Amino acid sequence: MIKRIIVISLMLSALLYAETKSENIKENKKENIYEHNCIPCHRYLPSSLGDMYMRYLKTFSGEMTLKAALKAFLKEPLEQTSVMSNLFIDRFSVKDKTLLNDKQLDEAINIYWDLYNVRNKLK
Amino acid sequence: MLALKNKDINLLRSSEKSSLLRFLALYTVLATMILLLLGIFYYKSQEELMFSNERIKLSSYANEQVKELKLLHHYFPSRTEYPRSYNFNSAIYDIERVKIFSTLKNSDVNFDKEIYRSGDKIHFVKYLDDYYLGAKYLFLEIDEDKEWYSKTITNIIILGILTLVIMAIFGLFFVHILLRPMKNSIMLLDNFIKDTTHELNTPITAILANVEMMDTNVMVEKNKKKLHRINIAAKTVSHLYQDLTFLTLNHNQQSKDEWIDLKKLFEDRVEYFTILAGSKKVTFYLDLNYSAIYMDIIKMTRVIDNLISNAIKYNKRLGAITIILRKEYFIVKDSGIGIEDSKVSAIFERYSRFNNSEGGFGIGLNIVKSIIDEYGLKISVESVLGEGTDIRVEFLKASIGNGDSND
Repeated sequence: MIKRIIVISLMLSALLYAETKSENIKENKKENIYEHNCIPCHRYLPSSLGDMYMRYLKTFSGEMTLKAALKAFLKEPLEQTSVMSNLFIDRFSVKDKTLLNDKQLDEAINIYWDLYNVRNKLK
Repeated sequence: MLALKNKDINLLRSSEKSSLLRFLALYTVLATMILLLLGIFYYKSQEELMFSNERIKLSSYANEQVKELKLLHHYFPSRTEYPRSYNFNSAIYDIERVKIFSTLKNSDVNFDKEIYRSGDKIHFVKYLDDYYLGAKYLFLEIDEDKEWYSKTITNIIILGILTLVIMAIFGLFFVHILLRPMKNSIMLLDNFIKDTTHELNTPITAILANVEMMDTNVMVEKNKKKLHRINIAAKTVSHLYQDLTFLTLNHNQQSKDEWIDLKKLFEDRVEYFTILAGSKKVTFYLDLNYSAIYMDIIKMTRVIDNLISNAIKYNKRLGAITIILRKEYFIVKDSGIGIEDSKVSAIFERYSRFNNSEGGFGIGLNIVKSIIDEYGLKISVESVLGEGTDIRVEFLKASIGNGDSND
């Protein structure tokens, strides 16, 4: 009987661990979309992603507007639609088109918005 | 109200009174509405004046706040403390009208007005060109100074009452002008009747006296009938003459009140009208108990005569008139054409007649009503179209005599 209880407990623990693990993987995967596709390139730029967020915020104001503008730019980057200064673009040029699909792009942008959102940080 | 001062035309008909009241009501409503509108315009202008004063101050506060937001935007996220001031509260909203941060006490904001009152606060909104921290709308909030409000309301009340008084004076002036043609026409008719009455007295008296004096025993039957008709016609004209005399002369004279034996008076007047009633083959049925009343006998006679005369005039051929006299009231009941319900209330108006087939000036019942009102009696009319009319006059207890009182 005791053996049975121990076996069932072990099985349940294993199951819970497996579920937690899979959620973490999913979470990491989400973050990875942003981290793997955005950070590596921006890491070498003098303007951080935070600075760029503030530029976007200053230009587009609202969440939906900002996200839509950013998505449009990432899919079709143009000098005219960039929020960066001419000096910056002259030096580093405009980025290449994104290779992410719409869903991945939305995920990455959402992570980016949540990461730098000012609303929760203002005191 | 205005016409009553003139005794010659003090009997404004109820339709004229109601026209006057309607005009006054309309005038009052219009005057009040105009004043209300003026009050609203004045209030709005004072509010706008207050806003324009506050706007200058709030614009300056807003510029200061924008500078602070610009700095915060620049140093964000190393600095995250939202800029606050002792002078005002503020809030920022993004282009999608979603709140970013707020220190407003009253969070009921309006994006479409530059400056407005919200509860006991004034809100001012500045639209930003550069969306620092994502802010498109910057709201500033200050406490409202209520002094302008109490001053404005006091001014509105004082000026409103003054204007209403002035307009009321103008209104009375206009009513005078409006009533003048009506007064003139009534006066003209009264003067005409007065002048005509003077000319009727002598011929009527002469006719009636001579008819009484004529010896009918020596007349042939044909002439007797003719004389009978002359007598009826002369009595009709005499009755009309007495009404007109009362209306134009006696009405304004001092009453000579005395105890009247109503039973006797009714019997006399019925006898007087018997010939007239006979012309239509109308029969009198009398149910008279003793009753006495303290009144002017000429006036009471006018009341009885007019009621009996009307009962004959508007009766059917071979009809009946029943007169019931009790201590506290009398009823004159006819079996005539009756009156429509809608016209019952108008029968006491001067120059009003039941129909145009019968002659007369339409003054008889008006005289009855004026006497009834003068002595505080009560008159009521019940009529069924085609069946007849009952007119009931109730006496005041104070004016009724005891059964044996006959002084």
